Amino acid sequence: MPVEELVKAVIITTMPIFAVAIALYTIRIIKGPTVPDMALAVDCLSYDVCFFMALLAIYFEAPFLIVCAICLALWTYIFSVYIAKYLERKELGE
Amino acid sequence: MWGIIEQVLLYIGIILIFVGALCDLIGALGLLRFPNFFVRLHAATVGIIGGAAYPLFGLTLMTFACDFLGYWRWLLASGSFITALIIIITAPAGSHALARGAYRSGLPVEPKVCDFLEEDKGRGD
Repeated sequence: MPVEELVKAVIITTMPIFAVAIALYTIRIIKGPTVPDMALAVDCLSYDVCFFMALLAIYFEAPFLIVCAICLALWTYIFSVYIAKYLERKELGE
Repeated sequence: MWGIIEQVLLYIGIILIFVGALCDLIGALGLLRFPNFFVRLHAATVGIIGGAAYPLFGLTLMTFACDFLGYWRWLLASGSFITALIIIITAPAGSHALARGAYRSGLPVEPKVCDFLEEDKGRGD
């Protein structure tokens, strides 16, 4: 089997599993009882979307999508630390 | 025609991607089913490191063999590697900060087995 067909078959097989995982994270975001649960689920979902974007970059042969994945990973860390700061001190900024 | 090294890298990458998909599914199920925030943190770490960082390393190895992408596959490989490194460095720090903030904001720990930090605070240590 040529490389292109094999790689695209692997990507098509892997994508539904990640789609199911993203749907489960979304359920936890919607019904999460407290704010830290929602923030944790948003973290997981963002990192999964990072990997999903890298898969799409190979599938559509558009390599510049990977730049968005790097930015998304950094943004997620900032979001998590910001939520933690708000939870601890009940204020933002500085 | 392509060499044996690229073939080995391709298959190692494919195996890593499938293991990552499995870890991600297990992490998502755990995040949905576990009873309380501090237990869910464990499942979330399985979902982040096993579900996003390992498959990105696998993608790095797999893109070395993707001849159909041409010259741009080096951009994809280096971008995937840097993203995986960023996730490995920042995800535990973010989870730790979130757990600390949640505990200090007085989040109720519902099915509690033992809480040494609360006992220490009660004793005044």
